[in-house]
Amino acid sequence: MKLLKYNKIAVLALISTTLFSCGSDDLPGESQLDFTQPEKTSLDNWIDGTYLNPYNINVQYKWNQNTVDNSRFLFPPAVDKVKPALEIVETIWLKSYAAIGGPDFVKKIAPREIVLVGGVNLNSVGTRTLGLAEGGQRVTLFETDYIDQTDRANVSEFIHTIQHEYIHILNQNKPFDEKTWKTLTPGGYTADWYNYEIPESNELGFITSYARSNINEDFAETASMILIYSKTEYAAFLAGIQSPFALQALKAKEAIVVKYFKEAFNMDFYALRDEAEKNTTSVIN
Amino acid sequence: MKMKQLYKYLFAAILILQLTACNNNTDAEQLFNETPTARLNQQKSELNDALLSSQYGWKAVYFTDNTVLGGYTHLFRFADDGTVQMASDFDADTKTYKSEYAIQVGSTVSLTFTTKNRIHLLSDSNNYPIPALRAKGYLGDFQFLYYGQENGEIIFKTNRNNRELRFVKATAEDWINLPQNLEMEKNVIGGEERPLFRLLETNDGTTVHKFDFSFTAVTRFANSNSIESGYSVSYNMGIGYTPTGIVVSPAVEVGGQKLSDFTYNDADGSFTATGTGGVSAVIKYTAKPLVLTDDYKFLLPGQPLAWFGFFVDDYTIDSPANSSLFYAELEKVNAALPAGQSIASIQIYGNHSIGTFIYYTFVGRGALQHHVTIEEDAVGKKMILKHKSWNGNTTVATPAFLASIDKYFMDPEGIYVKAESFRLFYSDPVYTFTSASSPFRMTTWKLQ
Repeated sequence: MKLLKYNKIAVLALISTTLFSCGSDDLPGESQLDFTQPEKTSLDNWIDGTYLNPYNINVQYKWNQNTVDNSRFLFPPAVDKVKPALEIVETIWLKSYAAIGGPDFVKKIAPREIVLVGGVNLNSVGTRTLGLAEGGQRVTLFETDYIDQTDRANVSEFIHTIQHEYIHILNQNKPFDEKTWKTLTPGGYTADWYNYEIPESNELGFITSYARSNINEDFAETASMILIYSKTEYAAFLAGIQSPFALQALKAKEAIVVKYFKEAFNMDFYALRDEAEKNTTSVIN
Repeated sequence: MKMKQLYKYLFAAILILQLTACNNNTDAEQLFNETPTARLNQQKSELNDALLSSQYGWKAVYFTDNTVLGGYTHLFRFADDGTVQMASDFDADTKTYKSEYAIQVGSTVSLTFTTKNRIHLLSDSNNYPIPALRAKGYLGDFQFLYYGQENGEIIFKTNRNNRELRFVKATAEDWINLPQNLEMEKNVIGGEERPLFRLLETNDGTTVHKFDFSFTAVTRFANSNSIESGYSVSYNMGIGYTPTGIVVSPAVEVGGQKLSDFTYNDADGSFTATGTGGVSAVIKYTAKPLVLTDDYKFLLPGQPLAWFGFFVDDYTIDSPANSSLFYAELEKVNAALPAGQSIASIQIYGNHSIGTFIYYTFVGRGALQHHVTIEEDAVGKKMILKHKSWNGNTTVATPAFLASIDKYFMDPEGIYVKAESFRLFYSDPVYTFTSASSPFRMTTWKLQ
C-alpha cells in the first residue's frame, strides 16, 4: 500500500517533469512565409474600388491553378479585356439587383469570387461552357477575350452567362420550388440536349435547349432568358409557341420564377427585368 | 495487485521516456538542415535569380507531347518587376509581347505565366490542329514546376502532364533570328519543285537503313517507318524549327547515339544530323518511290480493260496525294480555255475495245481522247506512254490548252502507278499516277 502511494507520487513527479522539460525551446520567430503583396496596377486598384471594397467580391484574372479545372485547356484573359468585362458585369448585374433588391442585396448574396478566363471552355462533344457557379461562392466566366461591346448578340451572350450563373448562386442560397417544377415538363430532360434545335425545345416547354439538361439549369435558363429579353421580346417569343402544352408549361415556369423572387427575396422580378434591360442598353450603346 | 503491477509498468515506461527524451544525439542522418518552408523559400529565390540572370533571357523549344505534336520555340526575358517579354514561333507573329509571371509555391516551386501572352496559344481548347485534339488545343501548359538547374539550363516539368522542359540561355541572335524559324518551316514542308518522295536514312557507321518520311505541318509531326521487310522500326517525331534546320523529339537513336539537331542544306533540301564514328541521320528527297510496286501492270498490252478516273467535282480533287504541280497544271488548262469552259475529268482507259487512251472531259466542250501505246520498264517498275493520235487522227497536233498537262503523262522517263491504302469516301480502290521525272501526281479511282 505504501509502495503504491510512493509510486503515485513518483509518477506524478515524473509526469510533471516530462511536461515541463524541453522548455528551453526557442519561441517561434517571424513567419518564414512571404506575405509581401504584389504591386497593384491601376486595373487592380480599379477592381478594389469597384468590386472588393463595396461588395467584398474578389476578382481573379491572373492565373491560379486552384480555381480552374486543370484538365481543361484554358488560359488567363488578355489584360485589356478585364475591365470591359467587369464593367458589363457591374452595370447589368450588380446595379440592376441593387436598384430592385436594395443596395445591400448583392452584398449579402453574391459570389465571393469572380474568376475570369480568356479562352473558350470547349467540351469534347462540341458545346461550350460559358460560365460556372460553385457552391454559392464563386462564379467563373469564360471567353472574356472575345467580348465585343459593339456587338449586341455578343454582349447578350455574355450577360446571359452572368444572369444564369447568378440565378444558380441565388438557388444555392435559397432553393426554389423544385417539387412543382419537376411536374411541369418531366419528359423533356435529356443529357444530349445539344443535339436539339432551340425551336424544337421551345415547343416542348423549354426556353432553350440547355434548359433541358436538368431542372436546376431549366430554372436558371428560364429566369436568365426572361431577364435578357425585353418585355415585348418575351411576349413575342410566347406568341410564337405553337404547342398549347408548351405555352402552358413556359407560363407555369415563369410563375414559379416570379414567386421565387417575391417569396425568397421580396423582389419584383418584372421590375428587375426592366432595370436589366435599361442597363443592357446603356452598356451596348 | 493488478493495480500495483500496472503502476510498475507505468513507472518504468515514464522512466524510459524521461531518460530518452530531450536527447539531441540522434544517429539518424540529417537529410536537410532547413525547415521545408525555408527550403521552399530558398528554391523560390534560386529560381527567381536564375530567371533574371541571363542577359538575353531564356529559350525553350516546347514539345507539349512528342507523340502527336512538334516543338514550339519560345523566348522569354524576365524582369524583376514581375513582367516577362515573350516571343514565339507558334505562328507568323513572332513579335515580342509583355505580360506577367509569378513564382508560385504550391506542392513545389513553379513558374507560372499569369497573364496572357504567346505561350497561352498552346492551351486554347478552341484552337486545335486535328480533330483528335478537339477541346485540347495544342496540349500546352504555362505552369512549370521547378526541378533545379544543370549545365546552366533550368529544368522544369510541366504542371499538367509532367513533361520535362528545359530553358537554355538565349542569345541576342535568338531574338533577331526567330522569324527565320518559320522560313525553315517552308523547307520542312518542302517546295513544289522538290521531288514528291522523301526518306529518312540512318547510318550507324556500317549499316544503312531507310524509312519513309511524311511530315504534317499543322501538328509539326513526322511519321517515319521502315521500308525494309523484316525490319519494323519507326521513328515518329515532333519537329521544332530553328534558323539553321530542325530539332526533333524524341531524338533519332542510331548506333546508341541520340541525334536531335538536323542542319538544312538548301542545295538538295536535305536535313542532316551527324554523330560520331560515322553515325548520321539524313532526311532527304528522292525522285523515285521508296517502294516500287507492280501496279502499273494493269495497263500493259494484253491485259483486260482497266479504267481509272480523276474527277474535278468529286472526292478525287481533295486527295492529299495530288501534288501542287498537278493542281497548277489543272489551273493552266482552265486559264487557256475560253470563258465558260473548264476541265471536268482525266480518265485513263487501258485495253479498251477502241484502244488505250487518256480521256479528257470538259464542261462546255466535247471530250478528247489521247490514244497512246504503253511500254513497260520492267526494271524501273514503271510504264511509258507514247503518243499515237488524238481522237484517232494521227495528223492532229496536241491541242494547245492541253499541251502542258499532257506532257507529264508522256514523260519519257515513265509513270509510276501505285495502289494507295487510303480510300476517298467510296469503297473504290485509289490509285496514283506519278511522273518519274517531275513532282506531278494525280489521284484516281480504279473504276474497272
